[in-house]
Amino acid sequence: MTGAYGGVISPAADASARDRWRALALTDPVSRLVRNAAHAGIDDADYDLRLLALAAVDVVVGSMGFAREATLDDVVDELTGLASRMCPGRPDQARDAAQTVVRGLLNDAHDQRRFSYRFADLGAPGETVRWEAYSFRLLSLREAEYGPVVVASDQAVTLFLGGLDVDLEDADRALAHVLQRQLDDRRFDAAARTAAQAERTSVGMSATLAELLDATRRDVGSHDWEQEVPDRLVRARRHVEARIGEDDRLLEHVQGGLDAETSPEVRAVSGRIVDLIGRARRVHLDLERRLVGAREVFLTAQVRQRLARRRRLRMLALRDEVLLAVLALPRPEALTVASAFADRALGVSVPRLVRFDDMVDMLWAPPRARESAEPAVEVVPDGDDEAHDVQRYPEPVVGAAREVLSAVTGGGEVRLSTLLDAVPGVAPEEDVTEVAELVLLSALWAFAPDLAAEAEGDVAGEIDVLAGGIEAVDDGVVLAHRFGSGRDLLVALRRKESVA
Amino acid sequence: MSSVAADLTQVRAAAELLGFALARRARPVEGGVYRALLDRYRSELGFKDVVDTMAEGLGLEVLGVPRSGMVLAPEPGGAFATRLADLRTTMDADDRLVFGLVLIGIAAFAYPTDADFDDPETRLVEIVRVDEFIRGSLDALGGLGGVEGSPEERARTAAQVYADLPQLITTQTGRRARGCTLKAVEEVFGWLVEQGAAREAGTLGPDTFHLTDRFRLLVADSAGGAALDALRDARARGEAP
Repeated sequence: MTGAYGGVISPAADASARDRWRALALTDPVSRLVRNAAHAGIDDADYDLRLLALAAVDVVVGSMGFAREATLDDVVDELTGLASRMCPGRPDQARDAAQTVVRGLLNDAHDQRRFSYRFADLGAPGETVRWEAYSFRLLSLREAEYGPVVVASDQAVTLFLGGLDVDLEDADRALAHVLQRQLDDRRFDAAARTAAQAERTSVGMSATLAELLDATRRDVGSHDWEQEVPDRLVRARRHVEARIGEDDRLLEHVQGGLDAETSPEVRAVSGRIVDLIGRARRVHLDLERRLVGAREVFLTAQVRQRLARRRRLRMLALRDEVLLAVLALPRPEALTVASAFADRALGVSVPRLVRFDDMVDMLWAPPRARESAEPAVEVVPDGDDEAHDVQRYPEPVVGAAREVLSAVTGGGEVRLSTLLDAVPGVAPEEDVTEVAELVLLSALWAFAPDLAAEAEGDVAGEIDVLAGGIEAVDDGVVLAHRFGSGRDLLVALRRKESVA
Repeated sequence: MSSVAADLTQVRAAAELLGFALARRARPVEGGVYRALLDRYRSELGFKDVVDTMAEGLGLEVLGVPRSGMVLAPEPGGAFATRLADLRTTMDADDRLVFGLVLIGIAAFAYPTDADFDDPETRLVEIVRVDEFIRGSLDALGGLGGVEGSPEERARTAAQVYADLPQLITTQTGRRARGCTLKAVEEVFGWLVEQGAAREAGTLGPDTFHLTDRFRLLVADSAGGAALDALRDARARGEAP
């Protein structure tokens, strides 16, 4: 390969020009973010943004490869803390400074594309220049199961942690740097201590569990299997699950250290950790085996000792043992029981998912074709139209009802019974019953509109129109009228705010 | 597809995995059952076949298994498909056009090229930038041909409606009010968050969202259309160096 300067300057300079140029380019995003910070109102004199950028890479590298990597929130929070120490007078600005730095390192100004630079490869004297694109990332976001996590690129790790005179694209080298850094930070020690601690916890849990199971075999009633024991089992199971996962991660991470080229120190510590984790894992698995069998031990013992617990609804007397009992409970407890009951009684609810194209098609369906595009719901023909016609009230009846209801326009509240009393005075004799019915229905509608029926267009239009402007309140007075019975509602004009 | 009949424990595990995938809140955390099943899906061909077949029978398709969990898409008209009635019911025809346009706009803004669909990098998007992008690309949509009722015509009409809306109207309390495009974009983001296709990124400032792997896979699954293609072109051109 011909060198970048084409041997013009010196063979030595030529040989490493490309690498050194790259190292130089890698620091440019930081300079750029410092320049741009002024636009965001961050004063370079107040904050050392370069140091914050270094800190961001450090925070990210510190947790890469562990079970829980640094989330975006972690990084921003950490930088905010540092920034507020740089400029204690402006606590409100610290977060902005932190955000500016993180956004800069993510290349947010260019939609998190790679940073891109062009290197001029001059070649031998007389050749035309070749432009070579060099693009890289510093930080990037990945989605993890606990939210977006920040990862540092190999280039960022090597440059910002290892100095400038190295082969920047060497991924193994980057891992070695990460491990070395974590060893220096005593993070391995901490991880090893946690693993050892967890092993001791598992041994303890195994012992108490064995004791508990023995006791249960003798007498089911010796421990509280309703509440206490399941809780303990869940705790133990969580412990095992978490440890096995965590240990696997650590093992993989550390194994990487043994495979890559690292310092003897890292290798020694890695070896120790691998041994420790191997031992701890056997203990965890043993505990897990006991946990899996635990419930079985209880059930067998229970059947043997004939203490079967009632678990199915049909084994309960619904009225006496559920309804009356719930009614007697205070509100919060009743709510718990009732919702648990309802959730089970109502059965399956289906989650709705989307598909991009279907969603757009649905939203952009031409209005005319909409009816046919709607999914064909199976409707049982019930002579709907006919029923509607029968339900429709003749115009004179509607007019008379409107006149009766107009009594409320005075502004005060009028009793439903008073309205009903007025019906015979307004309506022609043959229509009296129908008018009274319409007034009753309108008042009822004003008291409790049937929104579901309204949405389906299932309501006779007249009631809707008549009840539209009024509202009704139930104050407990009983209605015993020749046209109807129930509650004597207080009917009034609907107030402004309830219309809006 | 493997010809070996699946044993029942495998079927049970497959059903469990689909159950987790359907519960949008479930996260495959380290050491959990969901995570174990996901790993099994990725590594065991026989199990993958069982899961895929079972999903097919339920009217679902597995779009992908990113680290954040399995992403499913419904067959149209199936039990799991979203219907118009599941959306905000008060939307009129114009609202729906704008909603669709914003949805396409966000997709084009975040993933202008096909290579973007394979890039696991999480995209950050901001309400104002999405709105500016859509506004800047309306001309591209206005130039689409197509007869009345065709997707091209709908895109044109949507662009027209969008152009006629003001960018911002505020309520008395200073929030965005209905009837401006920023509010429309905000509402689509709200819906995406509900769908698990986006998350709020409050630490980077207000109005900033992450688009999740779920959204990336949903858009990648799309066959595209005149409007999406036009906007992706506009976006790819706009950011070319």
